[in-house]
Amino acid sequence: MATEGLEFAGHSLSRASLDACVKCTICETQCPVAAVTPLFSGPKYVGPQAERFRNGASVDHSLDYCSSCGTCTLVCPQGVQIAELNSQARAVMKADHMPLRDRLIGQTVLMGKVMTPVAPIAKAALNNKPIRKVMEAVVKVHADAPMPPPQSQTFEGWFRKRPTPAGPFPRGPVVFFHGCAGGYFEVETSKKSVEVLEHLGYQVIVPKQGCCGLAQQSNGLFKGATKDVLKLCDDLRSAGKDLTIVSSSGSCTGMLKHEAHEIMGVDDERLKDVGTRIVDMMEFLLDLHEAGELPTDFAPIGMKVPYHAPCQLKSQGIGKPALEVLRLIPDLEVVDSGAVCCGIAGTYGLKKEKYEVAQAVGKPLFDMVKETSSELALCDTETCRWQIEKSSGVKTEHPIFLIHRAYGLS
Amino acid sequence: MSRVVVIGSGLAGLVAANRLADGGAEVLLLSKGIGGLQLGQGTVDVLGYAPQRVTNPIKAVAEVAASHPYAAIGAQGVLTALGYLKELAPDLLVGDPEANYHLPTAVGALRPTCLAQPSMLAGNLKAGSSVVVVGLRRLKDFQPELIAGNLARTELPDGGRVSARAINVDAVAREGEIDSSGLTFAKAFDDPGYRQRFAELLAPKLSDGEIVALPAVIGLMDRQAHADLSAKLGHPVFEIPLPPPSVAGLRLNQALNARAQAAGVRMVSGVRTVGFTADGDRVLSVRNATVPAEREYRADAFVLATGGFEAGALAMDSYGAVTETLFGLPLVGTENTPLIHGDYWGAEQPIFSVGVAVDAQMRVLDKGRPVYANLRAVGDLIAGSTRWAEKSGDGVAAASAVLAADSILKEL
Repeated sequence: MATEGLEFAGHSLSRASLDACVKCTICETQCPVAAVTPLFSGPKYVGPQAERFRNGASVDHSLDYCSSCGTCTLVCPQGVQIAELNSQARAVMKADHMPLRDRLIGQTVLMGKVMTPVAPIAKAALNNKPIRKVMEAVVKVHADAPMPPPQSQTFEGWFRKRPTPAGPFPRGPVVFFHGCAGGYFEVETSKKSVEVLEHLGYQVIVPKQGCCGLAQQSNGLFKGATKDVLKLCDDLRSAGKDLTIVSSSGSCTGMLKHEAHEIMGVDDERLKDVGTRIVDMMEFLLDLHEAGELPTDFAPIGMKVPYHAPCQLKSQGIGKPALEVLRLIPDLEVVDSGAVCCGIAGTYGLKKEKYEVAQAVGKPLFDMVKETSSELALCDTETCRWQIEKSSGVKTEHPIFLIHRAYGLS
Repeated sequence: MSRVVVIGSGLAGLVAANRLADGGAEVLLLSKGIGGLQLGQGTVDVLGYAPQRVTNPIKAVAEVAASHPYAAIGAQGVLTALGYLKELAPDLLVGDPEANYHLPTAVGALRPTCLAQPSMLAGNLKAGSSVVVVGLRRLKDFQPELIAGNLARTELPDGGRVSARAINVDAVAREGEIDSSGLTFAKAFDDPGYRQRFAELLAPKLSDGEIVALPAVIGLMDRQAHADLSAKLGHPVFEIPLPPPSVAGLRLNQALNARAQAAGVRMVSGVRTVGFTADGDRVLSVRNATVPAEREYRADAFVLATGGFEAGALAMDSYGAVTETLFGLPLVGTENTPLIHGDYWGAEQPIFSVGVAVDAQMRVLDKGRPVYANLRAVGDLIAGSTRWAEKSGDGVAAASAVLAADSILKEL
């Protein structure tokens, strides 16, 4: 019988892969955290090596400094699930003393619901230094960490109030998944994604949808995360069987495709069904292009723009589809950041004790962004965009913004 | 534009991908991890032992047995590939195809290799030289006493000896750490200020005319780091490659990857390629084990650069049966049973020569005929040599990759 949550994390799945570790050190050389701080002894040490000694107890507490970016698993030539092992071990390690802060920042829907009706006030508060200092002292969220930008209208509000699009929709229906951030904070990304899909001839269905639980998962709160991800699967499945689900929230897509199953041991047909049908927005466009079905009547955009592929997109094993699609736009020069990680890793870089590490991780990326453009940077996931924008000072948007513009929609 | 899928991003895969992209193909590079190139020495071996020590690798390549991969590749194939490698990494690989270097290793043996990094060349020692091997107390993978002792008792390939002594310095790569990795040191050495402080620490310990041997950690990104340190010390300096994490290997891996990206190679990594479809004698697509649903990649031609046993491209089951794990290709060399004999310090183990047979275009053969017209195998998968013993793996990889790429480009 399958086990779930912490019991699974302590004993199961990924442990089976640790014997495949040949100690080649490739993960150690690519780890963005170990590169900038001696506080983290590296993915191999706290992963396949320490795991042999854990037997229920934690032997290397530097594990808490792992950001769960997933780079180690991605680069491992032997298929060791290093990041998954470490996420599980950290959840077990923190289980009996979970900080209040880590419980709070997992509540992404709550944050959105509280902020949207009072967006201007929320915005002012989050930009207010004394308030942030109090927040840092009480909740241990760093005063300079990037915060979600409150919006006065949710995506759902926009979608329901706008005039019903006339169609026709020759390509039939698709389901759109926007994620919490895409519902409350990155509303423009969601709008533009829907408009591009409709422009291509899809009828876009947006079922009422909750949170995928990723922020709870990455903080070790497996019980709540499992409940949320399965509820979300029900939500998305309610829109129709066998429909493609298109997502503009790269991190949440990763949670649905593999993290809920591999890290928390969620073994449920509903998750497998949704995970199999969900595609990243840019992956969807690239698949269309490969099939010869993507109109490429893009208007030229004479611009040089840096693009950063976020960790949770890379760990889906689909390469960097945004790069390929953006290169179809005439006159647009897209420069791949080549950087490993922006540092934020979901909620990691917000934390008071991790903030400096996260900034050091992202520094090469921030420098690259500033050197490439002062106008615009592109990245597929929300918290990474907030991090890049806050730390580089360059406006950072989802790649769909330029697709939307090149189709003449903005 | 025609698409070519290359599977594997070690030396063979990266060379093939670059060559194909340079020739105008649309290249998709699939890889499970980031390749094994960074685990190596950052040099290019062509042929080191045949079985005696080789001084002229190209001459030795022309004389191999008919079953050796170099027989299908040919000396000209190797020359072309070496020239191409120097183009791909112009500031990183130098050397003469007709003269091996003999460079000290991390145990103080002299290793024959064909192309090496400029920062290693002062290690190609002349008789009568004085070498001082400098250990870093906080770097555990480099033992100067062992290296100096072995160097001093080794006869050079053309006769004569060197004198060698060992010293240690306590340089801090990163505050708060007493056991830093080679990579952490390399990042410190990228900083000219760090090099200055290091030179001031080391210079008083050197004697006139000594050649300084250091672990290969003198900078990762800054290609001037070695020359700068050498000038600051006023002594010739050479780097000795370390076991993984090998900074010299990392440099080469980064250079070939950056070159591939600049040439427009599209990369999908992190997923093993596990299946394929074919129609008659043509491969149509390969499938990646993306979770939770596999993804299919179609192409006009395929280059299999998946490596050997270490990479999982070849596998042996508990009955001793060996298979090529992706396409189930026919293997040669499996008749030499037992494939593994019990005399581990004795004759070569036949298992290392197991692999696929190829023609001059690197198409995989079954009883002399290509299995698939559009499938090439390159690198470690090719049968007929014990690469690690004769030190031929890099040359076979690069040359087979160039031949495969060039023949594909002619067909597209």
